[in-house]
Amino acid sequence: MKNNLHFRQSHIISIKLILFLVISISFLLIDKNLELSNKIRNNSSYLIKPIYSTAEAPLKIFNKLSIYIDSMQDLIKKNKILEKKVFIQSGIIQKIPLLKEENKRLKKLLNSSESMADSKIIIAELIKVNLSPFSNKIVIDKGEKNNLSLGQTVIDSLGLIGQVSEVNKDFSIVTLITDPGHALLAVNTRTEKRVMVSGTGDNRYLKAEYVSLNEDVIEGDILITSGLDNIFPEGYLIGVISKINKKINKDFMEVDVRPSSSLSTNQEVMILW
Amino acid sequence: MVIFNKIHLTAITLLFFGTILNILPFSEALVSKTPPILLLILIYLSLAFPNQINLTYAFISGIIMDILLITPLGYNALCYTITIYLILLYYPQIRLQSNWNKMFSLLIILIPYFFISTIVNDMLNIEYNILDVCISIFISVLIWPGLFGMLRFIRQKYTS
Repeated sequence: MKNNLHFRQSHIISIKLILFLVISISFLLIDKNLELSNKIRNNSSYLIKPIYSTAEAPLKIFNKLSIYIDSMQDLIKKNKILEKKVFIQSGIIQKIPLLKEENKRLKKLLNSSESMADSKIIIAELIKVNLSPFSNKIVIDKGEKNNLSLGQTVIDSLGLIGQVSEVNKDFSIVTLITDPGHALLAVNTRTEKRVMVSGTGDNRYLKAEYVSLNEDVIEGDILITSGLDNIFPEGYLIGVISKINKKINKDFMEVDVRPSSSLSTNQEVMILW
Repeated sequence: MVIFNKIHLTAITLLFFGTILNILPFSEALVSKTPPILLLILIYLSLAFPNQINLTYAFISGIIMDILLITPLGYNALCYTITIYLILLYYPQIRLQSNWNKMFSLLIILIPYFFISTIVNDMLNIEYNILDVCISIFISVLIWPGLFGMLRFIRQKYTS
């Protein structure tokens, strides 16, 4: 009798199915912009963080083990390369105070306000979990406890990564600049013209939009943040124009931008204030 | 009563491990091709205990996955619920099949799952790659006999 689910329980199953379908579809309609799920995540972050940490643990253990497995000679080699890098970069850094002064002087001449104030930076580690394969989001280990707030800029050593889109107690979610719903205002460093850059969903390239057919754009042009969108501070590297496709029957060019930051291989990111 | 509790305890433990396996980090090239392990475990459990592990488990697991995967609430819940409903409709036939036929049945049941997720992706403007979806189905079918054997061993050990 118990096993005869096909006949005994079929009406209960059908009612359950309709109920759950209605709830799921209502949730989908309400939570299109992830507002409801953000609230749930925020209230249950003490449960979610341990699950993320457990999922990440095997990778962390593997990474730690691989350090031990690395031979001494390899480590000495790596150390020498890093020492050289630090030496070269410290040479470059020596010029920064001079450049800052020059920048201030030039801005005074142009009567423009100083937008690049010395900003506070904190380093956050990525919580490596396998999120929905097509969501362009990452999880970082800093949250409300570290005074993070919505909209903060996230960068790595090579360029812009994205912005903080959800802050929970122990972790936050960063929407990458490659997210299809994300757009920002960039500046072409060669022509100083403004360009709208939006995500494509593919981490390998972004799209420069509304670039008219007669605009001066060439492959290799560097795009930086304009600071005009009031989200990203001015002057951070976004990427390089990698492909231009002009079609006469269209109003605008199709311009692909290769992001400069290593969006998929990062271990650590920097959050700006 | 004791067996009833054992079933639920084993199911919850297996589903917890399934959740962890589902969000285990992979390289970017593999992320979109990983099989939905949690759903495969749910399929096994509803085949083994259709009276106890059915749509409620599927719905709750889906909601938990939505929260963990940062997808809109209801996305996985909808897909899981429909898939497990299909299992509940055909479980007497699937149970009697050989392992090879079970793989084929799984393929037939997973196609609607990916079809629904594709429709929802389109509705929500989520980018996806159809080739990756096909590879994910293929990998799910390939790992099914091994996963089935392992889950059956665990079930026999802890629920009887």
